[in-house]
Amino acid sequence: MSRLELSGVSAFYGDAQALFDIDLVVEPGEIVAIIGSNGAGKTTVLRTISGLVKPRNGSLQYDGRDLASATAWSVVSSGIAHVPEGRRLFREMSVQENLMMGAYHRNNVADGKVDLERVYTLFPRLAERRDQLAGTMSGGEQQMAAIGRALMARPRLLLLDEPSLGLAPKIIETVFKTIREINADGVGIVLVEQSAQLALETAQRAYLMENGRIVKSGDASALMNDDAVREAYLGL
Amino acid sequence: MFSMPLPLFAEQIINGIVLGSMYALVASGLTLIWGTMRMLNFAHGEFYMLGGYLFFLLISSLGLPPALAVPISISLVFLVGLAVQRLSVHPLLGRPQWEFSTLVATLGVSIFLQNAALHIWGERFKTVPYFINGTIDIVGMRLSYQRLLILAVAIFAMVVMWYLLRRTRFGMALRATAMDRDAAMLYGVNVYRVFTITFGIAAALAGLAATMLASINSISPWMGAPLMLKGFVVVVLGGLGSFPGAILGGIIIGIVETLGVITWSSQWREVISFTVLIFILWFRPWGLFGVKES
Repeated sequence: MSRLELSGVSAFYGDAQALFDIDLVVEPGEIVAIIGSNGAGKTTVLRTISGLVKPRNGSLQYDGRDLASATAWSVVSSGIAHVPEGRRLFREMSVQENLMMGAYHRNNVADGKVDLERVYTLFPRLAERRDQLAGTMSGGEQQMAAIGRALMARPRLLLLDEPSLGLAPKIIETVFKTIREINADGVGIVLVEQSAQLALETAQRAYLMENGRIVKSGDASALMNDDAVREAYLGL
Repeated sequence: MFSMPLPLFAEQIINGIVLGSMYALVASGLTLIWGTMRMLNFAHGEFYMLGGYLFFLLISSLGLPPALAVPISISLVFLVGLAVQRLSVHPLLGRPQWEFSTLVATLGVSIFLQNAALHIWGERFKTVPYFINGTIDIVGMRLSYQRLLILAVAIFAMVVMWYLLRRTRFGMALRATAMDRDAAMLYGVNVYRVFTITFGIAAALAGLAATMLASINSISPWMGAPLMLKGFVVVVLGGLGSFPGAILGGIIIGIVETLGVITWSSQWREVISFTVLIFILWFRPWGLFGVKES
């Protein structure tokens, strides 16, 4: 089954070590949150899983496949789609072109068109805006388009980096409702969030990162009740 | 210029558009490379030069008709472009200070190719005959068939490029890479392959311009440098990385130069185009079609 497993992973940006000895597992269909403050290395974990950053040590496996040596552009075909921090849409492409880029790796336009209708059903707002340039949409619409693009890749594991960033509370609610719906279809999710509250409410399990290391892990409800987590990240 | 009869004026405008369409071909290659890879290619003029020589050899040594010699020349220049990118640029990408090292590497390739051409073909200028002779009179304007053919080829090449960029899978990948390299990789684009092929296409566009201009300008090892400089003027004028900008910028420079040269003299050619560049950049420092940096 499609299980993600990192063990003993370290990674560097140039000479600066960004990740130290990361052990992390995502079981099929699970929502796992990674919480921690700015600069703790949460984004780097996602970038390492999707091949944008190469691990220097340790092993990185998904679905029995070794991802540590895979090129970044081949990771998506093993069933992992990454929605990067700041959405990173193709700004001067239309919404529809952005979505079709999600299906690029499958090289099958007919299949892409079928999935397009599914994404438009999930996000009717995107259907209305299909010909608009992605860069001209509001933050919430861009986040929907970014998630839609990832779904077009037909992932079994979705990496979401700060999906709530810069969005109004009402929009955040919609986005997280969609995330739960996607998960209900059996797609595993790794959720990186600065808002620990939101992340722990959504996830089944969670990891807490500090300075490039995982310092705590466990059931989301257990972390929610952990005194240190409550004090440092939940402001309680 | 102001005492010029109207048909002559119109004739010069058309000649300017013809010249400008060639500038546009050269500049669109530079702008494609900048747009996708964010680097300057200083060997671009030498792809133009190689296009000229290959065309000359196919025409004069093998006696091929232009209709065959043009596609063969640009295909060969395309392959040279792929090889140059793989050997000189590709190994440097992503390494520290690659923006600078790739620039120096392409400058090295430029010097190498100029000297190789000098050794192989000598310093005597070469010429090829017009593809078709004769002129046509349209409402008082006298236009040569050769120049009209050049214009038709340029328009055809632009339409092919538009189709490639907007309607093909490779074009999607290229545009995605240009807009956001990481996001393109995340969704399955092998950006390094896109870089190599883009380089080849850019080289082929320069080669095409050379085959078209071979019968008007002469062929020499140094023919590339002035045209590349003009290409940079056009790219900056049109906006770095903008394909429509390269076309419109090329045509503007072509027309202004042609009118300027008959009004003053051909010695003023470069002065005129750089004056236009400086003037436009006063008002739009990001170029006609470029995006204002926020």
